[in-house]
Amino acid sequence: MSHLLTFALGLLLGAVAFTIVGALTAILVLTERKVGARIQGRVGPMHTGPQGSLQTIADMVKLVMKEDVRPARADAVAFGLGPLLVAVPAILSLAVIPFGGPLIMRDLNVGVLYFLAVPGVTVVGLLLAGWASYDNYSFLGGLRSSAQFISYEIPRGLAVVTVVMLAGSLSTVDLLEAQSRVPYIVLLPLSFLIYAITSLAEVNRIPFDIPEAESELVAGYHTEYSGFRWALFFLAEYAGLFAASAFGALLFLGGGNGPLLPAVVWLILKTSALMFVGIWIRFTLPRFRADQLMRLAWKFFLPLSLANLVLAALVMKAVA
Amino acid sequence: MTTPALVLSSVLFAIGVFGVLTRRNAITLLVSVEIMMNAANINLVAFSRVHEPAAMTGQVFALLGIGIAACEAAVGLALILAVRRRFGGTDVQSIDLLKG
Amino acid sequence: MSLQDSLFAGFGLIAVVGALYAVITRSLLRAIVALGAFLTAVAGEFYLLSADFVAVVQIFVYVGGILVLMLFALMLSASGVRHPLAAIDRPGLGAVLAYAIGGGLVWASWTAGTFVPAELPEDAVGALGRALLGTQLGPFELIGVILLASVIAALSIARREQP
Repeated sequence: MSHLLTFALGLLLGAVAFTIVGALTAILVLTERKVGARIQGRVGPMHTGPQGSLQTIADMVKLVMKEDVRPARADAVAFGLGPLLVAVPAILSLAVIPFGGPLIMRDLNVGVLYFLAVPGVTVVGLLLAGWASYDNYSFLGGLRSSAQFISYEIPRGLAVVTVVMLAGSLSTVDLLEAQSRVPYIVLLPLSFLIYAITSLAEVNRIPFDIPEAESELVAGYHTEYSGFRWALFFLAEYAGLFAASAFGALLFLGGGNGPLLPAVVWLILKTSALMFVGIWIRFTLPRFRADQLMRLAWKFFLPLSLANLVLAALVMKAVA
Repeated sequence: MTTPALVLSSVLFAIGVFGVLTRRNAITLLVSVEIMMNAANINLVAFSRVHEPAAMTGQVFALLGIGIAACEAAVGLALILAVRRRFGGTDVQSIDLLKG
Repeated sequence: MSLQDSLFAGFGLIAVVGALYAVITRSLLRAIVALGAFLTAVAGEFYLLSADFVAVVQIFVYVGGILVLMLFALMLSASGVRHPLAAIDRPGLGAVLAYAIGGGLVWASWTAGTFVPAELPEDAVGALGRALLGTQLGPFELIGVILLASVIAALSIARREQP
């Protein structure tokens, strides 16, 4: 009986996490539209609520109530599974982020590796979604995005390895403790740059949003999706941005460490700063071409991150 | 939990054997082989728990097994693509160049 | 049954059902999706057998790598996706052989005696790392060479022949 209760509690926690991520997405989308409008000299959404602040809530209600259209020749199982496999790992990866004190779902002793591994499952979802839609644009978008994801996963992982080497632990809580005096961005600036840029590619943000480039692929892998399933893709993108930023803050900016304010506030402040940079970049840089994207990953970031790793190891050896 | 793990791995291995013996599509064969390799890995990890866990030998070999599986999948899938180009399908019984 | 035991049984059930479905379905896409469920369940079993690192590597390499590779191959070869695969060939023979092998293995496992789990080291991940780069360094390096060789082999096999 007691573990039925545990399972029920787990389900409840999952529902809470989903709701929090939904609310987070609403806030992020509104911020993004407002900031974007500011950068482009517009005013952004203004009509729903004071200063348009309820616009995304209205959009979400509309999305949930929309008809769920499925192409006649689509593979039913894969079409339904695609968005789920994209959204669930993005939310799951939040489980190892320490928001300070007891506010962590689980302190795995392989937390950092978990954060690198679990979002990798989204590739399966993207491929399934693109394939099941029975549509050339979706298919090309799915293939492109998985190729991109796999390519940028490697330099990103190698950048994180330097942090792990320095901290001597894969646990996220230990990372926090290791940075109590000096945040790692001071010691590993190059790793931070590699991590930040490749993370943008991992979460499919401009300038790396080739898979859904509307000028060539309509909307990539989610061309055929509408209603709630489309909302799941949307949710996954913003959950991914949040997770990547929170981990950036944790790995390089010292996470919840900081004077006066509690750890949660510090972590959220640092995460918000990183997310703001992401939004800023979106409205500043043009999109890459598909071949440029691949060349950048394999001929620039991979050698750079390897050199960075070797350099970090040598310096650590020399200092120790 | 060691004996249940061993039984589970035996059952999974048998399922893999069944797949290899009865399927004719090359990709499904690869799927069956992966199932068998995973069954072997469960065994290694289960024994690592009871036999000198501090030495981690079983876990190390499970990791090496995963590495080998990755190699096998890469080469196997490349072969499947080549076969598909040469014979127009991935049914292993269509590869019959040696038939007189 | 403790929570661990029921989780172990649940993951085991998912693994067995996933593997069975992957082996008997006539849709290649569904076989690969079922393999994904199977691999994830096996990762769960690794975690319950206190091999956290192996569990995460299983997700990383198998689900994030090999499964994606298989989907790529499926999509590039595009056979058996829109058309169902050939039905199971000689199921009786396969079932008898699989039953014999599986039965023997299950009997061997069941009668292998009782095992007492030994004490785990304090820093399990650290111990695993030291084993990989210490006592087991030879096989570890060898895997690197094999990976390199297989990447080169895969590239040269899959490359389109020059006309």
